[in-house]
Amino acid sequence: MELQAVREPASPDAGDFAALLRQRGMYPATAAAAHAAPSVTAPFAQTQATTILAFKFAGGVLVAGDRRATAGNVVVYDRADKVLEIDTHSLMAIAGVPATAWEMARVLEHSFQFYRRSQLQEMSLEGKVRALSKLLRDNLSFVLQGVGVVVPLFAAYDFEAAVSRLYFYDAMGAQFEAADYAATGSGSPAVRSVLYYENAWGSKPLVKRRESEAVILALRALDTAAETDTATGGVDRRGLVYPIIKIISKTGIRTLAEKDLARIFQREVK
Amino acid sequence: MIEEPYRWVEAIANRREYIEHQLATGSPIAALSYGDGILLFTLGRERQKLFEIYDRIGMGGIGHPGDIERLRMAAIELTSTEGFARSAHDVSLRRLANYSLSPSLKAAFEQVYGAPYLSRMLFVELGRGDAPNSFLRLDYDGSIRTNGGVLGQAYEEFGVISGTTNSAGKMEDHLRAQKLPAATLDGALATALDTWVIGHLTLTSDSHDDLPSPEELAKHRAEQLAAASIEAAVLERSSRLPATWRALKDAEIRPMLEKR
Repeated sequence: MELQAVREPASPDAGDFAALLRQRGMYPATAAAAHAAPSVTAPFAQTQATTILAFKFAGGVLVAGDRRATAGNVVVYDRADKVLEIDTHSLMAIAGVPATAWEMARVLEHSFQFYRRSQLQEMSLEGKVRALSKLLRDNLSFVLQGVGVVVPLFAAYDFEAAVSRLYFYDAMGAQFEAADYAATGSGSPAVRSVLYYENAWGSKPLVKRRESEAVILALRALDTAAETDTATGGVDRRGLVYPIIKIISKTGIRTLAEKDLARIFQREVK
Repeated sequence: MIEEPYRWVEAIANRREYIEHQLATGSPIAALSYGDGILLFTLGRERQKLFEIYDRIGMGGIGHPGDIERLRMAAIELTSTEGFARSAHDVSLRRLANYSLSPSLKAAFEQVYGAPYLSRMLFVELGRGDAPNSFLRLDYDGSIRTNGGVLGQAYEEFGVISGTTNSAGKMEDHLRAQKLPAATLDGALATALDTWVIGHLTLTSDSHDDLPSPEELAKHRAEQLAAASIEAAVLERSSRLPATWRALKDAEIRPMLEKR
């Protein structure tokens, strides 16, 4: 095997893992497949992941997701993990089709690592935010066919500004920075209402809340979403499956232990 | 003219001599196992010589920076695409070196009208679970030397590269006499520094020379520490993340090494 020539360092492709995958024909099939069948719309109920939320509090950004994956009115999986660690200081949470979303997370994770290893510096936060945006845009032709829609949240710690930041996207890849909170997925209208209300008229604004208060609010908001949205799992009271809650701050990412969530749930939500 | 077999052999020999001459001043690199993983160590003046390749693979190189860069990028691209297409568990140093890098280096070396790679590399891989750590030297002609483990031989817990065979041999002799894996990182750093000093001091000496005296070594160590910056990195078993590479800062380890 011949070693491939190194790409020109001046090329914008230097350090771009997605470009490397495309060059090797390994990029997850999206646009090409869509061209082959331009008029086909989704013929079956796709597996969907639902309801994720994130908000800023005194200790950083809290990101939470229920555990349910559905296809139409069938529950496919009740232990889905929708809050994914991309690197030490970035989290991606997904609502939409997990098949596409998990692949995106995989590309993203490798992109950041590849950039750091090849360019010998960390990718900037803006670069990371844009990288996810580009992946969503590449997925556009699938979205137009009604297959593989993904609407993620992205949370990361910004070392330059020394703050945790939170972004949400639409299915076409537009990125928006959230001031206080963000939620996507089928249960998100309820969650957004709860967070808006709590932020405006609750005991104190979200950014002033302590971690214990933030966790209670996240569990209650997901429970509210599950009340009216069958696609949101909420808390499975018998199976003891609790939402995934992760917190991102300067020290990195922390996942809340299930037994702690169980305790808080029994005391504050049930 | 080099279509004739004798001429071809001569051309290869000339080329080998030329490359060895180019590499002869290369500052040594030492790698060894310690309690929590692998330490890579060198002293240098200008450019970075130790690099992260993948989650559990690291690299050190001496030679022409352009050639080291080409090989480094090839190694990163190969491991990253493999790790993405299959899984990080499927990435292995053995396959990277034997099936991809070595044949390419050999081909470049023997195509006498083309340019060879002016580089000598040391690859290390942190073993998973109970698996031993791997140390692998890959030369400009594609030849490979590993830390053993074949035919019931015990694995050596170190690997080195240097500008000359004599220097590398002296470094290996020193490391064989040490108790490895080193218990602590501090212990490993001290051993690595001594090994580097031996390697550096013997770059210019004759292979029949004995090891330099302890006084000579201490003097050379003090001189070099003062004049060069320390470059070191570890692959840590205890890392919470899949990526185990951590570069050590000069300021973080210098006081401990200078105190000795």
